[in-house]
Amino acid sequence: MFKKILIANRGEIALRVICAAKDLGIRTVAVYSEADRYSLHVRFADEAICIGPAKSARSYLNIPSVISAAEITNVDAIHPGYGFLSENADFAEVCETSGIRFIGPPPDVTRLMGLKQRARAAMKEHGVPILPGSEGILKSPEEALEVAAEIGYPVILKASAGGGGRGMRVVREAEELPNLLAQAQQEALAAFSCPDIYCEKFIERPRHIEFQVIADEHGDVEILGERECSVQRRHQKLIEEAPSPVMTPELRESTIKVLREALRSIGYHNAGTVEFLMDPSGKLYFIEVNARIQVEHPVTESITGIDLVKAQIRVAMGERLADIIGGPVTLRGHAIECRINAEHPETFAPSPGRIKALNLPGGIGVRVDTAAYTDGTIPPYYDSLIAKLITFGRDRAEAVARMQRALDLFIVEGIHTSIPLHQRIMADAEFQAGQIDTHYIQRFLERAKQEKAAEVQNNVAVLDAV
Amino acid sequence: MTVEEIRELIHLVTSTGVAELEVQRGENRVWIKRTAPVVTQEVMVPAPPVYSAAAAPAIAAVPQQGAGAAQQAAPAVQAAPGGSGAEDLTDPSLQPVKAPIVGTFYEAASPGAPPFVSVGDKVKQGSVLCIIESMKLMNEIESELAGTVVKKLVENGQPVEYGETLFLIKPN
Repeated sequence: MFKKILIANRGEIALRVICAAKDLGIRTVAVYSEADRYSLHVRFADEAICIGPAKSARSYLNIPSVISAAEITNVDAIHPGYGFLSENADFAEVCETSGIRFIGPPPDVTRLMGLKQRARAAMKEHGVPILPGSEGILKSPEEALEVAAEIGYPVILKASAGGGGRGMRVVREAEELPNLLAQAQQEALAAFSCPDIYCEKFIERPRHIEFQVIADEHGDVEILGERECSVQRRHQKLIEEAPSPVMTPELRESTIKVLREALRSIGYHNAGTVEFLMDPSGKLYFIEVNARIQVEHPVTESITGIDLVKAQIRVAMGERLADIIGGPVTLRGHAIECRINAEHPETFAPSPGRIKALNLPGGIGVRVDTAAYTDGTIPPYYDSLIAKLITFGRDRAEAVARMQRALDLFIVEGIHTSIPLHQRIMADAEFQAGQIDTHYIQRFLERAKQEKAAEVQNNVAVLDAV
Repeated sequence: MTVEEIRELIHLVTSTGVAELEVQRGENRVWIKRTAPVVTQEVMVPAPPVYSAAAAPAIAAVPQQGAGAAQQAAPAVQAAPGGSGAEDLTDPSLQPVKAPIVGTFYEAASPGAPPFVSVGDKVKQGSVLCIIESMKLMNEIESELAGTVVKKLVENGQPVEYGETLFLIKPN
């Protein structure tokens, strides 16, 4: 039984861990940078240690500072939250050698999951479907044609030495391949001084589907259903939901079966997420494993009734999954989460500053995870997430309706937030129909731009007529 | 409200018979109360539990917010009962030596050895003042200026956090 744990994080997730620890009767130690001196997680922890100046590298990412703080407060374990040191295998190792339990997977498992190619290979070995691709660099147009035929069109040619869209070509038919390959090679050579190109299956309109893992230290692995996180902007998730509107019970069951075996074999402990892309035909392809608790864990908590952070702590204390989960995993209802960011809802410019007024929505089916408070300051040094708004309903429509109500009652004054953006998305027909994929936000923003332009034109026309 | 202004207010409390003083200017509010058992505390609304086991009379410097954010809380500093003839700790020229790392404070190189410095000692730039142990590594903390050690605010073996004031030095 842990008597005291240190939370190596800040903001809403630090508060989240404090809540779970309080529920378990475990004392907490908060660490904070000078910029977070008046934070809520510092206020509500039992003890607090300042570990450095505002810059993350010198505070929250500073391993000696964090470990020192853990030593002088005599904690039994450290919870790393998400981001920061949560997937740093070296940090997990330092914890163990310092006699402090790390609340997460074993260091070598975290390390394996962090090496993307090795993680893919490990999953493939256990029958998890991975995104088909060429084994290495394409040495000739003939080899490229062979590989592409095997994978199945459309395929995407990618530069081995870099990304950002350069040296990339989507090929839809065999006839175009040799030409596009030559183009990609030339572009790659110019951009990265290396013409090497590899090939991968290309998914039009991919949907981001991820499965929640929780495993104890005795070899038991459970998968707590899936989440869909397709509403993203520049690879940053904006809205998540559970379950996925397009998941079938059969696909869920078969994927869970394969994942349980795979994760048991590699010796996975504690919480984690397995990410997939789903193609329009409904097939899943493994992308990567995130060996930590994730931002969007509350939607899974809503539909399973299981406190995931509490489960993490209990796993690290050596408890068995059967006792922690207490029965078969059942999924009930639908949950949606909106990430409320301190940014302008249209320009996305960051908006740090002091919150002058704050009203958090409540009522049936509404949950808010936040470390914001009236008169609190959002510092400019860290990410812009200030609150997570989660709604739960018997079905997706009810969850959406409750989200609309909750967004209407969510008041933040003094800084810009993404609340208006979420309100418009919730009212959008495509979103309400569940017709989302990772390009949805682009389409949505395009539509919004065109609608605005049309409105301006309309106003001009009206004035002209007068 | 600047540190200097707060020091002046503390001086006002300690040098007169005033027991309690509250000053509000704009959004800043300072409340100073003279009490018998003297403990250093920074009490904020909301109140972070500042890790400090100091039992000796001392004055804690009010933390400066880096980003210039508005002070939303009321710093209340409990000051030591006025000068018993010793050093004037409200001297605005006193420079704090702050812990640059988190760890355990040691006043000497090893247990039983004489302390690096004592109150009244003169130090040079680079003089070793103390050790802070972090993860089994002993880190020597050097003085950044030349002067006289006026006050030692932490005890041997005490855990210290980043930015905690260890000594007050009067520069030459």
